[in-house]
Amino acid sequence: MLRPTRRQFTLGAAATALLARPAIAQNAREVLSFAAVTFSESGRGEKLRAWVDVFNKSQDRYEVQPLALPFSTFANTIFTQMGGGGGPDIVRFDHIDYHAAIPAERILPLDDLIDTSALKLTATDAYMKVGGKRYGFTFESSNYMLLSNAALLPSGKPPTDFDGFLAAAKAATGNGNYGYAYRATMAERSGFWQDFCNFVFGFGGRFSDDKGQLTLTAPGVIAGLTAYKAMYESGAIPKGADAATYRRMFWEGKLAMEVDNGGVAGIFYSQAPTMKLLASPGPFPTRNLGLIMAPVTINANTKSKAGAAAFLNWALKPAVQGDLQQLLGASNVATVVERPAADLTARPWLVDYDAQTPYSVPQLITGLETKTPELQQIILENVLKVLQAGTDPKQAMDAAQKQAVSRVLRK
Amino acid sequence: MSKTASGPARKPRHDDPRWLPYLFAGPLAVYLLLFQVYPLVQEAILSLTQTSLLSPQKHAFIGLENYQDLIDGGDFGSALAITGIYTVACVGLAIGFGLLAALLLDSPFRGRGVARALVTIPWAAPPVAVALVFTWIFNSQYGVFNYALRSLGFAAGKENWLDTPGLALPAILLTTIWQIFPFAAVVILSALQGVSSELREAAVIDGADKLSVFKAVVWPTIKPSVTLLSLFLTIWSLRRFDLIWLMTQGGPVGATNTLVIELYRQGFVYRQLGAAAAVGMVGLVIALAITLVYFRATRRDELARGEH
Amino acid sequence: MSAEDTSGQTAGPLRIATVVVVLMAALFPLYWMFVTSLTPSAALFSVPPRVVPDLTQWSVYAEAFFEIPVRVWLINSAIVAGGTTVLSLGLAIFPAYALSRFRFAGKGPFALGLFATQMLPEAMLVVPLYAIFGQLHLLNTLVGLILANTAFAVPVITWILKGAIDGVPTEIEEAARVDGCSRITIVLSIVLPLVAPSLAAAAVIAFFHGWNEYVFAQTLISDDKLRTASVGLAGFVGELSTPVHSVMAVGIIYTLPAVIFYLFVQRFIVAGMIAGSVKG
Repeated sequence: MLRPTRRQFTLGAAATALLARPAIAQNAREVLSFAAVTFSESGRGEKLRAWVDVFNKSQDRYEVQPLALPFSTFANTIFTQMGGGGGPDIVRFDHIDYHAAIPAERILPLDDLIDTSALKLTATDAYMKVGGKRYGFTFESSNYMLLSNAALLPSGKPPTDFDGFLAAAKAATGNGNYGYAYRATMAERSGFWQDFCNFVFGFGGRFSDDKGQLTLTAPGVIAGLTAYKAMYESGAIPKGADAATYRRMFWEGKLAMEVDNGGVAGIFYSQAPTMKLLASPGPFPTRNLGLIMAPVTINANTKSKAGAAAFLNWALKPAVQGDLQQLLGASNVATVVERPAADLTARPWLVDYDAQTPYSVPQLITGLETKTPELQQIILENVLKVLQAGTDPKQAMDAAQKQAVSRVLRK
Repeated sequence: MSKTASGPARKPRHDDPRWLPYLFAGPLAVYLLLFQVYPLVQEAILSLTQTSLLSPQKHAFIGLENYQDLIDGGDFGSALAITGIYTVACVGLAIGFGLLAALLLDSPFRGRGVARALVTIPWAAPPVAVALVFTWIFNSQYGVFNYALRSLGFAAGKENWLDTPGLALPAILLTTIWQIFPFAAVVILSALQGVSSELREAAVIDGADKLSVFKAVVWPTIKPSVTLLSLFLTIWSLRRFDLIWLMTQGGPVGATNTLVIELYRQGFVYRQLGAAAAVGMVGLVIALAITLVYFRATRRDELARGEH
Repeated sequence: MSAEDTSGQTAGPLRIATVVVVLMAALFPLYWMFVTSLTPSAALFSVPPRVVPDLTQWSVYAEAFFEIPVRVWLINSAIVAGGTTVLSLGLAIFPAYALSRFRFAGKGPFALGLFATQMLPEAMLVVPLYAIFGQLHLLNTLVGLILANTAFAVPVITWILKGAIDGVPTEIEEAARVDGCSRITIVLSIVLPLVAPSLAAAAVIAFFHGWNEYVFAQTLISDDKLRTASVGLAGFVGELSTPVHSVMAVGIIYTLPAVIFYLFVQRFIVAGMIAGSVKG
């Protein structure tokens, strides 16, 4: 009676051998996997695959296979795999996860693998070095700006201060249209954090001071949160619409404004080329808004260090960087790439996005980078209490500060 | 489970080799030891350590500190409470609706077979798909649920169901009940076939009303099935993950944060495998305790009925 | 409640109305998934919502099939579900018989273990299983997924089969034993046919377990080509530009095979449930 069982095992194993690696013996190339959320985006995903294909055709030793993982589960899936001794060879991380991966020694230092002496690196490269060592390159970095559909704004011009912003959002709401949209649910935790950071930075707040002390009760943070709540209660936002939904509403002409990064601006442009799309500084007391950075890294578990390094060295070539920047939209890459003049005239918002660079602030809590995921969770849970349970912003941030100290920082 | 007349466990007959039972049960035992017990032991050890998801091989042994943290931190108590509410509501409502549906579909009418098949369809729908469609149904602006409420004149027709602390758990419950009540209905329906029609008719002739007939004749027959059903529903409710995770991730503000969600949050949001394991161990003890209570209770029932 | 109607009269209008209401409640969410899938993109965010499908919108299904790898997902899910079913039944039949018919040292702990393992949430064992699978080179294989799912499906299945075998009179077996049949022959050729409905019920439970499973499929598989439908669908709800109607179309494509399969085997489940796990 063991026989049926064993037969199933054998059959199963045979089936998998057939299924798992359909093209195993076609060539003797070393196969590496490259995981990036970008691959699962419609539009940019296909272009990025084509970009990787250029590498595969450029030489015959390695083959890089794109690995599309959805944004919501990306880091957890990768970290589980890395912790179990596996995972993709090359990984594009969000900045926040980059800082989690480094102390756990999950990604390789690149100083000996890649020669940067001839490269003209962008300003965000400063954030790539941790403890004097480089673990990655900026795969994509992007500023945030207020994006407006001019046709839906009463004056046709984007607001410049918060009162004007609230008023414009309310005025644009009605007939199935909404004035503004952002995220405010834990189901979209990462996006919620990005949106909240924009408000806090705009009001001059930071989550930590120069010494790396947590400052959740600072006036700027409270003011940002108060503004977040004011917007939440304005009646001008489509509550319950997730980012995929409201971004779609934007290019369908049903949403007047949203603060978003340059990659999204590029998507809007390609989906609604005739829309009068404006990019302007955040409608807050200061010009500061968030900055997203996504380093590309090499998994410490990789069996092909040389192959991964070859891919990164290829990716840093000027022409390749130019193609990457072009396909990513209003984003920047590891090295400085001049945008073609034709692009700038066709897409004037590219200029605006590039001009925002000096005011962009990383969304990571400075000095507490590795603790940011846990702190983020505590902060956002308390923000939700303000939005949904009517807690006073000051009280909520007091509570967040206490929880953060007792649950996270003492460890 | 009561014994049947025909199948009491017995010694293998003299011509059965002594090792035969082990040959029969052995492969499964080995399989479960490898894929359930061994990981479980590792999980138990993990609960005594501080371990990051990113480097699970690096443990720092910290004794019972993870358990202490569960008691000290605010989330665990509320997770226990929410698990309790969710489980009791799931079991009670699923059996309630299941019983109603079963009684409704028990007696013959034209199209009964089709109706029986159709009503159980929700049980066959994959939870991931169910979570997505209910998230859309509960959408505050464009959801058909709010639209229906508004059309019926309820003021609640603008609510942000999955993002409002007081409403998210009811919304999750509604979704869960929709998915599992057909299972309860199927089980009760089959148990109803064991109800003696003579007894039932005799009771009716004696002038008993519907409720008395149910109490005197129907309920005693289906009670063992319902009891076992409730055990299964309890265990499944304690384990349910994908539906809740995909709809609310335990939010808003912890309103739907059951033990399994808390476990996943500790392990994969905070990336603290040790703390997650501690949550899991507590949950396991609770589930085991419920099962023991159940077995004790059914044993007592059997004894009381003189079946042993 | 049903006492008066059991003698076979036709049901009253009130009962029929109640049945209709219950059916509508049971079917509405799936109907809504279907309607949404066939709603033009521009009408998705209209109030009041469209309540009938727009039958000119079938192209969304074609897109789902040709532009995203739904076919691959479905095939993978079918392999996982089928493999889980076969392996679970293969592992469960003889232990179920042993639990029903034999008395042996260690039987108590074995039975308790079978019951206790039903309580473990999958999420709890993801991390240790990932490490074990890594050592066994089972990561990123559908066989690994089948092994993991089987570990979670097999206890309840064994339990159901044991209950069903309890109901088979031993006299039937005695006759065969007098004829000199071995235990194994008896189990396979006499007992199994008699518990066929429960076997079917057990198979369905295992199949659905494999078809629906999400946590393991998400963690143990990273290769695009091996993704299952549950993970594909959940991940399809991306950050950027995934329209609701496409999500719902994929949802329908994923749900429909399960529902149709279920309708075919439904009669066995009802019979199997009585004989099996839930018997008085």
